[in-house]
Amino acid sequence: MEIEIISFGKISEFISNQKITIDCGTTDELKTHLENIFPQLAGMKYKLALNKNLVQQNSEIKNSDSIAIMPPFSGG
Amino acid sequence: MSEKKIKNIFVDGPVSPEFIAKSIANHNIKTEIGGHSIFMGQVRKDEIDGKIVSAIDYTAFEDLALNKIHEIREEIFDKYPLSCMHIHHSLGTIKAGEICLFVFTSSKHRKPAIEACNELVERIKSELPIWGKEIFADASHQWKENI
Repeated sequence: MEIEIISFGKISEFISNQKITIDCGTTDELKTHLENIFPQLAGMKYKLALNKNLVQQNSEIKNSDSIAIMPPFSGG
Repeated sequence: MSEKKIKNIFVDGPVSPEFIAKSIANHNIKTEIGGHSIFMGQVRKDEIDGKIVSAIDYTAFEDLALNKIHEIREEIFDKYPLSCMHIHHSLGTIKAGEICLFVFTSSKHRKPAIEACNELVERIKSELPIWGKEIFADASHQWKENI
């Protein structure tokens, strides 16, 4: 299936917004996959949002979902 | 989540002192208020490894941030007896010395206003998907980390 990834902060410097084809069914599997294709992500602290909701536990991914990859927040 | 309209907190560029003054003045008709608490975040001209921070460039995942601050706003209103709560956060490039965050709470007596303001600032910094990129005088940059 195809999903859209968007990235923010420091992560946006090495992962551009793009559509990728994956065969992962869950956000945990996706994390492993992302760390394989973007090695700089491994070892970094980051959170995912699935369709604009913060992922707090392993969640199912469906075709054409949107995944945001977010480094630690630094507003204020 | 309630049906209340989601308010935008983001402003392009710095929060101006004139805007802050006007926000304060707008409350003179709300005569039940006895105490205001205000926090203003200002971009600090830090020196990092010999380089001077000249500005911070803020970006946000706006949809997620606005949903989250809506939740936080409701929780704070449930927790403290507040009359008013106003939150403004800058996006874009904010120069050292300019205001990038303005949080303003009001209540009948001082303590709820002070405590709510403090809690809001802490939660804004830790829970909202906003990122600050520190721009140095030589145009290089590093990503800010909240402590």
